[in-house]
Amino acid sequence: MVKSLTAILLATALLFGLGLFEWQFVKGEFAGFAEEAQSLFEKAEQSSASVEDAKAVQTAWETRKARLHVWIPHNDIARIDEYMAESVRLIGEKDFSRALAKLEIVLHLTACIPGTYRPAIENIF
Amino acid sequence: MVLVILRTAILFFTLLLIMRLMGKRQIGEMQPFELVITLLIAELACIPMADASIPLLYGVVSVVTIFVLHEIMTLLDLKLKPMKSLISGKPSVVINKNGIDEYQLKRNSLDISDLIESLRTAGFFSLDSVDYALYEANGQFSALPKENYEELQTSLPLVIVESGNFDRKNLAFTGLGEAYFREILQGEGVKKIKEVLVLTADGTGKLYLQLKGEKFRVLRVSYPDGVTW
Repeated sequence: MVKSLTAILLATALLFGLGLFEWQFVKGEFAGFAEEAQSLFEKAEQSSASVEDAKAVQTAWETRKARLHVWIPHNDIARIDEYMAESVRLIGEKDFSRALAKLEIVLHLTACIPGTYRPAIENIF
Repeated sequence: MVLVILRTAILFFTLLLIMRLMGKRQIGEMQPFELVITLLIAELACIPMADASIPLLYGVVSVVTIFVLHEIMTLLDLKLKPMKSLISGKPSVVINKNGIDEYQLKRNSLDISDLIESLRTAGFFSLDSVDYALYEANGQFSALPKENYEELQTSLPLVIVESGNFDRKNLAFTGLGEAYFREILQGEGVKKIKEVLVLTADGTGKLYLQLKGEKFRVLRVSYPDGVTW
């Protein structure tokens, strides 16, 4: 009885603790990346973004991505990867209007993805 | 993560409810919640193993959630009597001193054939050879035989009428026509064949007759032309 109760309490605490950590961690990582992507977006809007700026944001994303793979499905990460790679290429070619469209999607995904892991009715069912 | 925990718990309780509603037919030697866990755990472990796009952690979390639910169910099962019957169900007495309890059979999605099969598996070939028979909560079959039950099953009884319908195959096997049994039933005051819950006949001329909502009766007859099996 005591053993079972201890096991239940410990496992439940572990699960919900892990859940809470995941929620905070994913939110934090995406918030950090959103700031970086936003600054690149603003530079691209002013047509002052360079390929180095874009690559710096991409590298920062790669570092975050390695940590995020543990917590969220890899397909979600792959979507950001694709749009980020396209943005780097377009900024390198000085095609800012198309780069902005891609970065807009990156920002949108960055804002949406953490929300899909929130324990809400629409996400559960 | 919390989503995985909640989704696992929802599916667990849905499956448990469905298993309980399906009755004893679907269960074999396991409590309903144990069967649900067996069904779920293999899948939960396999999906992240085979699908590389899902983090392995999701599989680990759902398996740990199942472990927690199992421990909670076991505790409730052992410590709280009302919860025990809710989670695991109760034994169903399908044969009593009055004969077959049709209501209990239906509640467990079973029919007369299933009952006779269970009786045979337990070593009882005649319906009147047991005083009580029941399906345990885990689906296992138990029977309390009459003292002289071996004397009551000297020949193989065949089902002639089941739930108001003649069994053509068994009728052909006996070599006795439908009219022969209809005549016997009329002699017993049966107006319509639909009134008969079960009629079995063995090779020595012993008939077991139970009408719907009535106590069973055992009849002795002599088959024409010395028919036996």
